[in-house]
Amino acid sequence: MLASIGKLNRHQEKMAYVFITPTLLLFAIFTVIPVVMALYLSFTNYDVLSRMDWVALDNYQRLFKDGLYWTTFKNVIFYSIIFVPLNILLSLGMAMLMNFKRFGIRLFRTMNYLPTLTSAVAAATVWIWLLHPEFGLVNNMLGWFGITGPAWLAQTETAMPSIIMVTLWQSIGSNMVIYIAGLQGVPDYLYESAKLDGASAFARFRYITWPQLRPTTFLISTMAIIGALQLFDQAFVLTQGGPGNVTKTPVYLIYQQGFKQLQMGYASAQAFVLAIAILIFSLINMRINKAEEPVV
Amino acid sequence: MKKWAFMMLTALMMVSLLAGCGSKGTDSNTAAKGGVSSSDEPVELAFWGDWAGEGQKQFETMVDAFNKSQDKIRVKYVLQQDMITKFMTTATSGGEAPDLVFWDRWRTSLYAPKNVFHPIDEFMEQDQINKDDFYGEALKELSYDGKLYGLPLTVDARALFYNKKILDEAGVTPPTNWDELEQAATKTTKWNGSKLEVAGFSLADNGLFNMYLQQAGGQMLDETETKTNFNNEKGLEVLDFWDLLLNKDKVYKIGFEQGLGEGTDAFVTGKLAMQYTGPWMLSTYKKYGKDLDFGIVTPPVGPNGDKGSVMGGLGLVIPEGSKHQKEAWEFMKWWAANKDNALLWAKTSLNIPGFKPAIEDPFFQEDPLWKPFLDTLEFAKIRAQHPGYSVMEDDGLIPNLELFQQNKLSKEEALAKSQQRGDQLLQDNAVVK
Repeated sequence: MLASIGKLNRHQEKMAYVFITPTLLLFAIFTVIPVVMALYLSFTNYDVLSRMDWVALDNYQRLFKDGLYWTTFKNVIFYSIIFVPLNILLSLGMAMLMNFKRFGIRLFRTMNYLPTLTSAVAAATVWIWLLHPEFGLVNNMLGWFGITGPAWLAQTETAMPSIIMVTLWQSIGSNMVIYIAGLQGVPDYLYESAKLDGASAFARFRYITWPQLRPTTFLISTMAIIGALQLFDQAFVLTQGGPGNVTKTPVYLIYQQGFKQLQMGYASAQAFVLAIAILIFSLINMRINKAEEPVV
Repeated sequence: MKKWAFMMLTALMMVSLLAGCGSKGTDSNTAAKGGVSSSDEPVELAFWGDWAGEGQKQFETMVDAFNKSQDKIRVKYVLQQDMITKFMTTATSGGEAPDLVFWDRWRTSLYAPKNVFHPIDEFMEQDQINKDDFYGEALKELSYDGKLYGLPLTVDARALFYNKKILDEAGVTPPTNWDELEQAATKTTKWNGSKLEVAGFSLADNGLFNMYLQQAGGQMLDETETKTNFNNEKGLEVLDFWDLLLNKDKVYKIGFEQGLGEGTDAFVTGKLAMQYTGPWMLSTYKKYGKDLDFGIVTPPVGPNGDKGSVMGGLGLVIPEGSKHQKEAWEFMKWWAANKDNALLWAKTSLNIPGFKPAIEDPFFQEDPLWKPFLDTLEFAKIRAQHPGYSVMEDDGLIPNLELFQQNKLSKEEALAKSQQRGDQLLQDNAVVK
């Protein structure tokens, strides 16, 4: 009896490897190999067309003196610090609202999810219109209250907040859906017993909902951090990095150095430093969320 | 037995998957071999460009006319949306290289040093093509290290577009110098409280600094073409002028034209009295016929009478990887160095051709909308030929100009910072020998 279970397990183990092999192969071909190649390229002066000589740490030395690269880093970190907490707060709030069982709630869920379905570039183009200083809907509405709205995307003070707003609008929908799934996975008996013990609604959220959602929050915050540090599309369409470089991002610079200036070696070095930064922020996030501890 | 069959099947799936990845490469190899033709069959040329829609039809008009004119060479236009990247791929990882590429001339200083284009000097000599028949600045832009890499198809430069109706109502004539420009802009601007209804003059594009600097008598780079040259009294003159227009006379508001295009263009809708733009806008503006009555004059001169405008445009180049460079040259010569064909191209695409004899045609000389551009092209200068020039402008200069316009930097600080960062960018992006 035991022996036959062992045999079955071994067989299943073997088959499991067979099944994950295609995926792993694809992963190796399209992810692992390019990453290793990029690491190698970051130590060369590769320009796609004519040369690929070993330059040791030259690219990294240049990078540490490159003021613009660090400006773009400052920009995305500022962006992340505002975007990530707001994203979690708003998606969770929205999910809790949409988690009630009421008539027509599905319609509301769908409507809140819709912005996610539009392409980043198309949505950003529409927002350029909405945020136009003279003819845009936003400033016209402010005008009803006698407020002269700013040139949202053209002024240094409002350009980054505008991008934060547009990206939030677009990313909350999908995170809301993930949170709803998380909320529905919280066992009812926990709430029931808490109620019996006289716990207030806030206490139930604080001691049941929030801890139970920890894996969900970890997933959402990690994805948000990665996405935030790799910000590109919206910033590119809305402001082209302007005004005064306040919305320029590392990915924008990497693209420009690599594909426009043909300095692939240097661009690879920039990309590697960005990847390391993402790793560091994800680790910090893991600590904050205590992701490795089990959910009770 | 069953188990084995299952394993085999899975393995087979994987193999076919990998084969699917590999087969693409072999396909393009055989295609490349097919390009070598026998003696009596016409040689097939692949002509790459990134113009779609209307532009594609214009190219095909030229290609068809050439194909009909002889029976030795067959040209085919291949639309490549992401042309530069595609071109780089063929240049490095095999694949079939194009025989001709439609080329943004300013990129030459970045690509030519990497030996991806074939110089045409020998062809020019053999066929005794006179270099003086072309705009000198355009040929200069297609040259590197004493070699010429292509011929210009179009030349363009910005001139001053003005809305006749708005200027008439304000009682002003089209400006000829900076003072008149300032007055005309002030008189045509209309504010309604804090809302700008009609802007007198567009200050949307900080990239035009180059043009203003020329009008002030300056140059973007010094004689060595390795250092910026605008942190001086000429540069200050430009910023003073911008400050006067934007912050004192308030003829414009930052962000006013952002996101407006085609039918909502501020100039089309009468919300903008004057602006600098190029001949590429003519067809758009002509479409609005009676609703938009506009005129064009050469750019106003600066305080000391200096003229300035920036020449740009497109050309044709032959990649080093092409197997039919001689035939490609035949097509290039037919198109860019023949009066009739250059004119056919000009009329089809509504562009000013780079071949001067074609411009003598009444189509250009007698049209009040073309004439100011021809006059402007007489003194227009190309951008400095440095592979890092555009980065210097985009990342070094323009951000600081934006901060200056929003009163975040004084004019002295803005220029000093632009110089510092600009020089660094030029150095970092210079040609590596």
